[in-house]
Amino acid sequence: MRVAQARRFVISDHPLPWLLPLVAILLVFTVYPLIYNIWLSFHEFVPRRRALEFVGTENWVQLWNDTRFWQSLVITFTYFAIALVFELVLGMAIALLLDSDGFGFGFLRGVLTMTLVIPPAIVGMMYLLMEDPQFGVISYLLQSIGLLNSNNPILATASTALAGVLVAEIWQWTPFMVLIFLAGLRALPPEPYEAAMIDGASSFQIFRRITLPMMSKVIAIAVLVRGIDLFRVFDYVFVMTSGGPGASTYSLSLYAWQQTFSFVKWGYGATLSLVTLVIILVIANLFIRIAKVRW
Amino acid sequence: MNGSFSTRMLRTIAAWVVVAIFFFPIYYWTSVAFKHGNDIFNRPPKLFAFTPTFDNFQKVFGISLGSGGITVTPGGGNFYMAPRVWDSIVIATLSTVLAVAIATLAAYALSRMNFRGRHSFVGWVLSTRMMPPVAVAVPMFFIYKNFGLIDTYTGMVLIHALMNLPLAVLLMKSFFDDIPSEIDESAIVDGASRFMIFRRIVLPMAKGGIAATAVLCFIFSWTEFLFALTLTTTSLKTVPVVSSTFVTSIGTAWGNMAALGAASIIPAFIFILLVQKHLVRGLTMGSLKQ
Repeated sequence: MRVAQARRFVISDHPLPWLLPLVAILLVFTVYPLIYNIWLSFHEFVPRRRALEFVGTENWVQLWNDTRFWQSLVITFTYFAIALVFELVLGMAIALLLDSDGFGFGFLRGVLTMTLVIPPAIVGMMYLLMEDPQFGVISYLLQSIGLLNSNNPILATASTALAGVLVAEIWQWTPFMVLIFLAGLRALPPEPYEAAMIDGASSFQIFRRITLPMMSKVIAIAVLVRGIDLFRVFDYVFVMTSGGPGASTYSLSLYAWQQTFSFVKWGYGATLSLVTLVIILVIANLFIRIAKVRW
Repeated sequence: MNGSFSTRMLRTIAAWVVVAIFFFPIYYWTSVAFKHGNDIFNRPPKLFAFTPTFDNFQKVFGISLGSGGITVTPGGGNFYMAPRVWDSIVIATLSTVLAVAIATLAAYALSRMNFRGRHSFVGWVLSTRMMPPVAVAVPMFFIYKNFGLIDTYTGMVLIHALMNLPLAVLLMKSFFDDIPSEIDESAIVDGASRFMIFRRIVLPMAKGGIAATAVLCFIFSWTEFLFALTLTTTSLKTVPVVSSTFVTSIGTAWGNMAALGAASIIPAFIFILLVQKHLVRGLTMGSLKQ
């Protein structure tokens, strides 16, 4: 009887049996870590006693007074903004260029897809080689046109290290924007363009007044999806600079990770990752509201 | 907008130049994988004129190219990475199966059943996609330690499946939304149960979508770094994590590193070409259709 009842429930119209596995795994792997992080942020590991101890709001006070934290917040936002602007502008320009049915264009679009499947950690390692001051191909190029002094290695100079990391980031993810924008461009209706041509509009006017407004939804989604990942940047800075030189490339994620695993500051690491989480959630949800992105 | 022959020509040339610039780093790394040490460290960098060698692949994968064709000899050495490639493949495959299985079930309900809070549920799934990995990895490290899940396939498969679930759910939902629900309704009238409709009618119709979802899950697991770095220590490691172990106190083994890097692109690239039709939809979590 029981079995029959359970069976009827499982095959019924009730959504619960369908959603249960998903809910279970999301609860265990996202809600539990969240609660644990909150709990941990009021504790700290004491090496002397090899135990976690309650420290009250000490971690939060430390966070407020930690110049390294504020610095990493600025670095993360800088990284986020520069990468996003470059990827959007380059992505749109290349998408407009590749939006053609001419011979070979399909092949070119396929080649661009390649960058998306390489592990970012490996991309970081490879740019580390290409930006090596002695035998790196990018350094060599910049030195020979006089843009770079051989005494200033790109990744070991505080003023250029972030740019060195951003090159890898922008190289890998501009094609992401290109593919999304291309799909958007291809789906645009031809009529407004025909009307504009008859009215004698210039190509810049057409882009500004027709293409951009009609692409706004596509652009919003691209910004959201890429923006979330940009704010969590970890892989590139971890393998290319480990946050250095000094603290010039410390992202929030890297700082939180190092506090936990390199410096055994479990409580403070949890506090930092909580802050990262809250910032992303707030900004992303605000953006979804404002840009009216819907799933 | 077609324009004259010369503008079309100009556009074609510009397109090839731009794509060549993006392709150049991949060419360069691949060339490093086939170089001897002194060619890698040459200044100016040698781009085309170098004597190719297979040594790096031999060291990293145990593959050697002799007169008798390709031979594979499992090697030892610090830079022998074939077992790590195997680890990556196992983790990516199993986590993909798990994520897609859970996601198709949930996505079907989200696409077909009307229940209170459905909209906020989708929002919740989406917001889990926003969690920074570091905020999950730190607590998970302590839990995994208690349950002995560090360095295990189980642990890595679970965490990668979790990471891919939001994407897989939203993507599968968009594919199910494409299938007209009249089909389900007429089957219900004929007396079929929900699960039977799901298994016999909807799943076969969504085959292409399932394949695209699976490929993306595989690639995201294949390229994932932070969880793999945090939740494995010695006996189990994925390809992205070992990439930084080529840095040693006596210098970096760039040739070996490049061999691993070049090889890591191939499987993922072949997969993604197979589902190119759905690629943009996948990259935008189902919100843009091609």
